[in-house]
Amino acid sequence: MLAYLVRRIAWGFATVLGVLLFLFLLFFMLATPDDIARRAVGEKAPQTVLDQWKANHGYDKPRMWNPESPADTMLFDHFRRMLTFDFGRSDADDTPISQRLRDGSGPSLAFTVPLFVLGLALGVGLSLFVAFFRDTYIDRATTVIAVLMMSVSTLLYIIGVQFLLGKLLRWFPISGFDPSPEVILRFLALPVIVGLLAGVGSDLRFYRTVFIEETSRDYVRTARAKGCGEGRIMTHHVLRNSLIPILTGVVMAIPFLFTGSLLLESFFGIPGLGAMTVDAINANDFSTLRVMVYIGSLLFIVGQIATDFSYTLADPRVRLG
Amino acid sequence: MKRRLAAAALAAALALSACTNNPYPDADDARAIFYSAFDDPPKTLDPQVAYSVNDHLVIGDVYDTLLEYHYLKRPYTLMPGLLEEIPHPEPLPDGRIAYTLRLREGARFHADPAFAHFTPGADDRPVRAEDIAFAFQRIGDPAVGSPVFETLVKIDGLREFAERLEARRKQDPEFGKKRIDEQYREVGGIAGVEVLSERELRLVLDEPYPQIRFWLAMPFTTPVPWEAVAYYDGLEGRDHFAEHAVGTGPFRIARYDKTSLIALERAPNWYGLRHPDAPGAVYPSEGEPGDEAAGYLGERAGKPLPFLDRVEFRREKETIPYFNKFLQGYYDISSIPQESFDKFVQEGTLSPEMQARGMKLAKSVGPTVYYIGFNMDDPTVGAPAGERGRKLRQAMSLVTDAEEYLRVFANSRGIPAQSPIPPGIFGYDPEYKNPFRTVDPERAAQLLVEAGYPGGIDPETGRPLRLTFDTPSTDTRSLLTFQFLVDAWRRLGLDVEVAATSYNQFQDKVRRGAFQIFQFGWVADYPDPENFLFLLWSGMARSKNGGPNTANFQNAEYDALFDRMKVREDDEERLELVREMRELLERERPWIELFHPEGYALYHGWVAPPKPAGMAFAVDKYRRVEPDARAELREAWNRPIRWPAYALAAATVLVVLPGIATWRRERR
Repeated sequence: MLAYLVRRIAWGFATVLGVLLFLFLLFFMLATPDDIARRAVGEKAPQTVLDQWKANHGYDKPRMWNPESPADTMLFDHFRRMLTFDFGRSDADDTPISQRLRDGSGPSLAFTVPLFVLGLALGVGLSLFVAFFRDTYIDRATTVIAVLMMSVSTLLYIIGVQFLLGKLLRWFPISGFDPSPEVILRFLALPVIVGLLAGVGSDLRFYRTVFIEETSRDYVRTARAKGCGEGRIMTHHVLRNSLIPILTGVVMAIPFLFTGSLLLESFFGIPGLGAMTVDAINANDFSTLRVMVYIGSLLFIVGQIATDFSYTLADPRVRLG
Repeated sequence: MKRRLAAAALAAALALSACTNNPYPDADDARAIFYSAFDDPPKTLDPQVAYSVNDHLVIGDVYDTLLEYHYLKRPYTLMPGLLEEIPHPEPLPDGRIAYTLRLREGARFHADPAFAHFTPGADDRPVRAEDIAFAFQRIGDPAVGSPVFETLVKIDGLREFAERLEARRKQDPEFGKKRIDEQYREVGGIAGVEVLSERELRLVLDEPYPQIRFWLAMPFTTPVPWEAVAYYDGLEGRDHFAEHAVGTGPFRIARYDKTSLIALERAPNWYGLRHPDAPGAVYPSEGEPGDEAAGYLGERAGKPLPFLDRVEFRREKETIPYFNKFLQGYYDISSIPQESFDKFVQEGTLSPEMQARGMKLAKSVGPTVYYIGFNMDDPTVGAPAGERGRKLRQAMSLVTDAEEYLRVFANSRGIPAQSPIPPGIFGYDPEYKNPFRTVDPERAAQLLVEAGYPGGIDPETGRPLRLTFDTPSTDTRSLLTFQFLVDAWRRLGLDVEVAATSYNQFQDKVRRGAFQIFQFGWVADYPDPENFLFLLWSGMARSKNGGPNTANFQNAEYDALFDRMKVREDDEERLELVREMRELLERERPWIELFHPEGYALYHGWVAPPKPAGMAFAVDKYRRVEPDARAELREAWNRPIRWPAYALAAATVLVVLPGIATWRRERR
């Protein structure tokens, strides 16, 4: 198991290095240090100010190759900073990126955690309910509705929910965020509702299929024959045995709760890490963007390893090696 | 089971009754808070560096400037701010010009921990003349990167100061680690910035430059405490100075969260509270004609400033949610989204529906000009082509329909420009009509014949004359606007191609002079014709000096007129000079002037009419709201409609109940 872990981490490390290199190449194919500097200092600033800014931020070095001093390049700096977790300051406004990560993860978690928990409960609960009533009007109607809901774009849910619940019925603020406990729930309601609406359709279809496949197995028949109640069969036997496919999706999602959602945060004005990423893209803010991509790839690898280990917990027959 | 269901239903009903779309804490309803928004956060709060509208949104309230613009008078008029009076030029025998800046007594910086760090027990401290000197030294400091350094090198010794400082830092790395004020002192300060006393400072310029007074009305020259710059170095958990303002203004920062909320609160030690008669501390009692009728005078006139307790800027990246919250009464002021413009504004006035809700519309033409420029170095469209080139430019100018352009792309928000000078600036003449800016395709065709391109055909090739329109914008919307311009020239028979590249490639083309036609805009830094006419002065030519004269227009006659105009006070002769320059541009056509944009702002009935400020930085101190009226209307406009929730709950029960019934039946 230890050997497996070491091997996975080594592969993960290589993947991260590749992602970092790829990111650097892609970014500087599209933008030059002058572009970044111009965005930061403004249109009217003279060239001298631009050059000073580049010197202050290390963008005046050769990009990839410096025959005189091979370590004195932007590419080398890029790898050194990322691998030592010395993230530095944002190109857009000079705020320390590590501080922005700390400040941004709170608002992101504030809506991703309830969304994750409620989404899982709703998805699994509804699917059990539907699987229980399979081939009845409930099952068929729910399947049709689920397919319909899957087909609608998240953007439409956002606009629709903002219009209906925020503007027309006036239940919640249309957008915004305030961390004070007095008002925070108001702001979380709409993004959580949108997240649930956008996710529940596909969850329902997936979990329902898993459960129905499980209910046709022999052990379920045996349980029934022994007089076990239908409700108990669903919650104790079927659910437990369906854990592997469920865990595959769920454990992978946990690390990404930190990074929030690009779309929901932007549209609901939640100052989380998703919104920060979108801002970084818009502002040509390479130093922030690379940190977000780097953290994203690290979390992905952590998530994959965690998923593998969760299998061994859910199913004692699984061996890692 | 039944009891549990009842409890759940009760909890749901309670949650529903607590529902509200009010994004603010309830206790704030009664406070005089002004609610506004920002899209992109300020890049910096460093007054010597900040140069964008979003930066100045906050800096304008937090830092007082030495001089200010009168809130109501147009053309824009200066008045004393932190200074006791507007300084006057004193010519020195050697041709240099001196100004004496006298600080108002009793002005103090906002309380800040930075002061106690260097002077134990000090909360704040008075503003001294040396703080102004410190601001000029920061403009000269290459490490600060002030964008106005090149403009202000007319200050005697500023460049030398910068060079000494840089050389010293390179020579001795230890020097660069010293406290910032000590570094400046050790290299000997700026020769032309002399502290005479605690409250007096002498500024010496190498040459006459009357525009210096406008720079005194901008945050670049506002006094800054060295303690704050030294203390906020970004180390050991402290902010950077660019993120932490220590100013002198009517408001100070209560919360600075660039991702969601910037809140300002009244500064208790603002000088205006001790000098209620100072021009910047009282709402004006006179303005321009029409201000009374527009409600700009009213009951605010003569009252002490500021009216607000607090200003909140919330981050709104998307226009539609912002506008919807404005309609619900949660923002006091808003622009109108392009897509719903026709719904809210009909023929220049607000729709009756919006008027019934007490909303009002404020319109103003900004001190900005958009124009098409020709590269005057170009052999075909520029000066080397002589009379042919001139006639070609005149012909192209005659078919460029700015009015139609505004109608198609800007809901007619703006006025077609006749000259580079926008309204509100000395030298703007509303009566003036540029003969080459009236659409006349017949005359244009005739001019093309005279230029030797009959029907747009280049006799050398026998094909339509090929020209390139270079642009740094590649988005669909901008390309549509360029297409509109190009189509008009195509109708003349010319073959104009749009070359859309990235900003950097475009800059590169401009540097190399490899461009023909481009479109640009210019926003005034200060309300003086010099700030627009210098865009065509040869001293600012891009190809020669890297200046903003991108058209590379170099004309000896124009330069001579410009040199005389720029140093004159606003008098009849200056007006005549501006007129002569205008006529020269009319004939030469290095630019096709497009338009001066017009801003439309909506505001609620509880907001005292805000005069669009244009040049001014400190605007929030003039604002007033009536919180009680606002709270009442918000309440009336935002009562939640609850029945759909009950209906939804009932529907769910109706769907689920048969299921439960089946299940129970089967269990039996």
